[in-house]
Formats: sequence, C-alpha cells, structure tokens
Amino acid sequence: ILLGSWFVVISVMECRVLSIQSHVVRGYVGNKSATFPLQVLGFEVDSINSVQFSNHTGYAHWKGQVLTAEELNELYEGIKLNKVNHYDYILTGYSRDTSFLEMVVDIIKELKEANPSLVYVCDPVMGDHGAMYVPEYLLPVYRDKVVPLADILTPNQFEAELLTGRKITTEEDAVEVMDLLHKMGPKTVVLTSSDLPSKRGDQFLVALGSQTIVKPDGTNTSQKICIDIPKVDAVFVGTGDLFAALLLAWTHHHPKDLKAACEKTVSVMHHVIKRTITYAHELAGPGKRPSPAQLELRMVQSKADIENPAIVVEAKVLQKSSH
Amino acid sequence: MECRVLSIQSHVVRGYVGNKSASFPLQVLGFEVDSINSVQFSNHTGYSHWKGQVLTADELHVLYQGIKLNNVHQYDYVLTGYTRDTSFLEMVVDIVQELKRANPNLVYVCDPVLGDHGSMVMDLLHAMGPDTVVITSSDLPSRLGDRFLVSLGSQRHVRPDGSRTTQRVRMEVHKVDAVFVGTGDLFAAMLLAWTHHYPNDLKMACEKTFSVMHHVIQRTISYAHELAGPGRRPSPPQLELRMVQSKADIEDPAIVMEAIVLS
Repeated sequence: ILLGSWFVVISVMECRVLSIQSHVVRGYVGNKSATFPLQVLGFEVDSINSVQFSNHTGYAHWKGQVLTAEELNELYEGIKLNKVNHYDYILTGYSRDTSFLEMVVDIIKELKEANPSLVYVCDPVMGDHGAMYVPEYLLPVYRDKVVPLADILTPNQFEAELLTGRKITTEEDAVEVMDLLHKMGPKTVVLTSSDLPSKRGDQFLVALGSQTIVKPDGTNTSQKICIDIPKVDAVFVGTGDLFAALLLAWTHHHPKDLKAACEKTVSVMHHVIKRTITYAHELAGPGKRPSPAQLELRMVQSKADIENPAIVVEAKVLQKSSH
Repeated sequence: MECRVLSIQSHVVRGYVGNKSASFPLQVLGFEVDSINSVQFSNHTGYSHWKGQVLTADELHVLYQGIKLNNVHQYDYVLTGYTRDTSFLEMVVDIVQELKRANPNLVYVCDPVLGDHGSMVMDLLHAMGPDTVVITSSDLPSRLGDRFLVSLGSQRHVRPDGSRTTQRVRMEVHKVDAVFVGTGDLFAAMLLAWTHHYPNDLKMACEKTFSVMHHVIQRTISYAHELAGPGRRPSPPQLELRMVQSKADIEDPAIVMEAIVLS
C-alpha cells in the first residue's frame, strides 16, 4: 500500500571560512582548535598557519617557526591568482606581530571588497586578568585597524576594557562597553568572561553578549544577553579559539538570535571541557594536578557534542534598548 | 579509542592534499592526529598558480625536538606521503627509527610517492620490510574491461604455530574520467584507519578503504560537473575533494566493492 511519499531534502551548506591562526603539531590551539569543529559542522575551512610550533607555550618546552608578513602575503597571492579568494567568513585569533596583523588587515579589506557580505570573526587576543600577554604596541593596531573591520568580536573583560579605555565593575558598565564596541565596528560582541559576580554564586562566571539589529523602520536596536557559566578549576589552552570558531558556526545558523547562538556555543564548550577535565584527572591520578599535555582538549572525542549539542545553559535576555 | 598518529605531509591553505586530506577523516574516525606540515602552499600544484614555503630538514628536526623534550613522542602510527627532498626524507627516517624505539609496536604507513611505475613486486616489497603492501593502482588488464583498473594487496601474517601465511587480494576499481589530487593521501589515511580496525583481514580493510574512496570521488565528480556546467571539463578548484560533505561516508562507509581473495 502506498501510504505517501517522504521527501527528504538534505541541503549541503556551502560556506567557506578563511582561518588565519597558529598551528601546533600536538594539541588543540589556534587552527588545530578551530578547524575540526567547523569541518564537522560542514564548513569548508581554508587555513593559513601563522606559526608552526611543536605544541602550545604552556608546556615546559616548545619549538617551531613563525610565518612572516611577507610569507602570509605570498600565500594570499597564490589564492588570489587562482581567483579563489572568495570567503563567507574570516576568523583570526592570537598574533604577536604588528606587521603580520597589518597584513591580515589588508587581506581582510580586499576580501570584503570581493564579497561585501563577508563576516569577520575577530578574537582580539591581548591578555587576561589585568595583564597583557602580547606586546603593548598591538593594542592601537587592534583598536584602530582590526576592530573596525570586525563583524563579530569576542573579547574577554580585560580586552574589552583595553579597547574602550573603560573599566567594567558592574553589569551596567559591561552594557556600556559593549555599546562602545558596537560603535567601533562589530554588530555582535560577546564578552567571553568577566569578574562580575554571578547571581548563582562564586562557582560561576558571567559572560555577556550584545547584537545590534536594524528594525523594519530603520532604527537600531540591540539584544543583550548574559550567561552564567560554571567555573572549572584548571587552566585550559585553546578554549578561546574553540569558542570563537563555535560562535562563528552558531551565529551562522542563528544570525538574528544571539541567545540561541550563545547557548549552543557555551553548551559545546561545557561538554568539551567536562570531558577534558575528567580524562585529565584519570591520566594524572588521584590528588595530582594534571599537566598541560594531559589537559589538551578532548576534541575528536567530542565530535557528537559538536555536531548536536545538548543545551545545558540558559542565556538571560537583558532589557532591550533603542537608540 | 586511544590512538595517536603522527602525520608528516604537506599543508595547503585551500583544498585537500597531504595533511589536509589525511587529518579530517582520521579525526572523524576518532584518531588523535599530530601533524607536521612539510610545506605550506596556497593550493596544490595542479592549479594554474601556487605559492608558499617549504620546511627544511633542520626545521623538521626542531619541531620533533619540541615534542621529544616534552616526553610526548609516543605514537601508535606514523603516516608519510609526498616529499621532494632527500635530506628531508632522511630526517623523516631518523625520526621514524627513534619513534619505533620508543614504541616497538608503532605502525609506519608509507605512501612511497614516486610516480607511476606499474610493476608488480609484492614479494620483493615484503622482503624489504612492510608486512602490508597495497599497490593502489596498476596497468594490469581488468577482467571487467577497460573502464576498470586493478589494485592489489598483500599481507603477511605469522600464525600461532609460527608458520607464515600471506593473504593476497585483488580489486577491480571503476575508473573516473578526471584528475584528482589528494586521493592517494586520503587512501593512505583510510587504509591506516581500516587496517587498525581489521589488522588481520586485508580483504575487509581494503573493501572499506576503497568504498570510502568511491563515495568521496563520486560526490566530488558530481559536484565538479554541476559547478563546471554541461560539456565543460571541471577545473582543479572545482575538483577539490568533497571532504567535509563526505563525513558520514567516512564514518560508516557502505561497502560497494568486493576484494577477491587470491589463493
């Protein structure tokens, strides 16, 4: 008996990301952290490796080579000569070098001319907890040249303070700083972590987000959210890079719903981090602090969570404001 | 599964050759992949233009030193492919020898990319070292006609009683009228994965590997023809392997060809 026909339409996403980040032989930071999750989610990822190191710099030893600004330009020239310099997204993270960063800026400008709809996801990695871990002279380059090109920005509290010159001590400060960052360029800003006290207690940290939307009548409004994230007692490396890559993916699927995009992103982070810390403690043994090698993110083991994350956090929408 | 692979191959910014071709499928199958990029090029050399930089033998050594100093140079597999440089290859040899001392069970999967010679030297190759040899393509005539090429595999085993046996398999592989780049690298990576799961069953490992290749290539050639349009030959960019789109086939390949066991 013919009961009816099922039509299943499987649409293949055609979305190409250019990611310019570090490569480590072993472990998950930079492009190693960003590429696999994006590919698993169906994105084409073109990756330019800004460095090749044996492992991240939190280990006892690390060795490797860096890419110069000229070499970066050479690689981009190759892509351009073949007329394949069309991207839907660009993703950048940690950089130590002003001339390299300035070459990245030139490339992004050109790619935006080739595709005006291009979305630049920028993690302005400069420092944390009140201290810079890149040279100070990178700040003006980020503030004046990089951030104005960004569409999505993922600073932590310290980086947001550096970029705006304003301190954050209350939620109102955070809202003001995110609005200042919008004025500098990006329509979407996520404060990935802050020292603000969480209503859920000191086992949680507060993250915030803001997205400007143009209403049908042409005026701007913004959706602001905050999320309480459970703290984990360990130092992870590569989590910021994973966060930015996931935010790229989930804002792609939820371009006007920062709440949904952040809940998915933070949920994936939670699953990966939990799996990682559990395994790290198994490896280290009872009562011993896991080593950097043992704390490498359990990335390939988290494939199912990356593909289809169980939502384990709820973002609260803060009162909307119109301008 | 806790299985760590060291893969020393090319990196291309765009496309799927070398480490770009090998890493994603192995990671999707749950392998930890440490990758040393022997070059970084914009794209493979079949395009009209290509630009980039190569890693020297010394720089390779420096990277390996970093891994070793941290005492994390324990690998279950090493995978290598295309190289143009003798001193680089000799450094790879030194590294593989050291890794085999650190882990005597290490399996070295070697694609001896030399160009197409088409001669049958299975037993000679076994005598030189490897217990598993797969001649990925040959000019031998296929019993299914000239739309097919012949691949051969051979695996030496030691039986519990100490005697040696060899399993030989033959596959007739459907030809595709296009030039693909990166397929050999994908093949070696998938053979690594499937011989890991079927260490004593070359027939099964080859059926899975060749089936994955078939699905990826079919998807790629269909898409390439869509992009190129009717009656036009697809370009190298259009022929890049549809890797991320083939994730489900990589994870669980439907078996579409049979490896015949030769006596």
